[in-house]
Amino acid sequence: MSEPAHVANTPFAHASEAEMSRILDFYAVRWEYEPDTFPILWNLDGDVVESFSPDFYLPDLDLYLEMTTLRQRLVRKKNRKLRRLRELYPDLNVKLFYARDFRALMLKYGKLALFEGLSGSSGQVASPYGVPELATDGPLDLDLPGTADPPVASPSRRRRRAAKADPATKGPAILS
Amino acid sequence: MRELANLHEDVGEILLTEEEISAKVRELGARISADYAGRRITLVSVLKGSLPFMADLMRAIDIPVRIDLMEVSSYGGSATESSGLVRILKDLSASIADEEVLIVEDIIDTGLTLNYLIRYLRGKAPASLRICTLLDKPARRLVEIPVDYTGFTIPDQFVVGYGLDYGELYRNLRYVGVLKPEVYSEVRAEADGE
Repeated sequence: MSEPAHVANTPFAHASEAEMSRILDFYAVRWEYEPDTFPILWNLDGDVVESFSPDFYLPDLDLYLEMTTLRQRLVRKKNRKLRRLRELYPDLNVKLFYARDFRALMLKYGKLALFEGLSGSSGQVASPYGVPELATDGPLDLDLPGTADPPVASPSRRRRRAAKADPATKGPAILS
Repeated sequence: MRELANLHEDVGEILLTEEEISAKVRELGARISADYAGRRITLVSVLKGSLPFMADLMRAIDIPVRIDLMEVSSYGGSATESSGLVRILKDLSASIADEEVLIVEDIIDTGLTLNYLIRYLRGKAPASLRICTLLDKPARRLVEIPVDYTGFTIPDQFVVGYGLDYGELYRNLRYVGVLKPEVYSEVRAEADGE
């Protein structure tokens, strides 16, 4: 059996995200991958210098899901960004899914080997149906200042991104 | 083949003793009996993990009770590879239309399975649909689901016993415990026939 097109065509940054999409599909929970980008830091001119794109949005649950499965350094960074996100957007429902959460899921579903295969790696975008494809080297958390611009997947996603991250919309002048 | 003695030795920590579980089940049964007094209730249990809890809970309830069983495929099982979607492996054997239904779960963690079941059962038009779980692991929750009856809120650990399995083993333990970490790979290898 081949990977469903909507999964195969989604540019997941990490195999854990691809696996999560399959779990959500299995339980009939609709998901969108990185549909929205939220500015979280502006320079003195009001230009966005840092933003946060949660990995998943689950429209039925009105929940953003951010997965972090690897290095503690990146977890701390994500925790900081998540705190900032919650300060600026208190109405957002965001959940951070840690490595231990993903491990517990894999344990529950008898896929512990998958977790252990990913642990410490740079994140292979693995398909359960084929040969794993190596992700590019470098940090897994790609929400870096000035680079938070994930590929566009759908018109609805483009509309929300334009509404929430329009560079013409100046934010409060905040320095890190 | 693993012996029962080995199963006990595989448990690193007992979270809930047989006596604690028994007392809690009696307490839940009394609460449910009071809440549904004068009415008939249908307990719907989800196989396989909730079987011991269902068997004990129904005997702790002293109002008229109907029972029914369901089983759904779990992610990671063979059904995953064939369809990629959850499947009802065993459906209800009787209609629940206009019935007072109480879902009896062994444990709620992510809430994904229960969320699916609730949507499925609501489509069968029960008079009411409530949830009773022996164990709740809220730290793991993805889908927020209001739980009406909770036995124990437990820490974020993988637990076995009293119906809960790992690799289809440990369900027959009379307590709820946490496996030693080194057991996971060994049990999984045996379950896979390696």
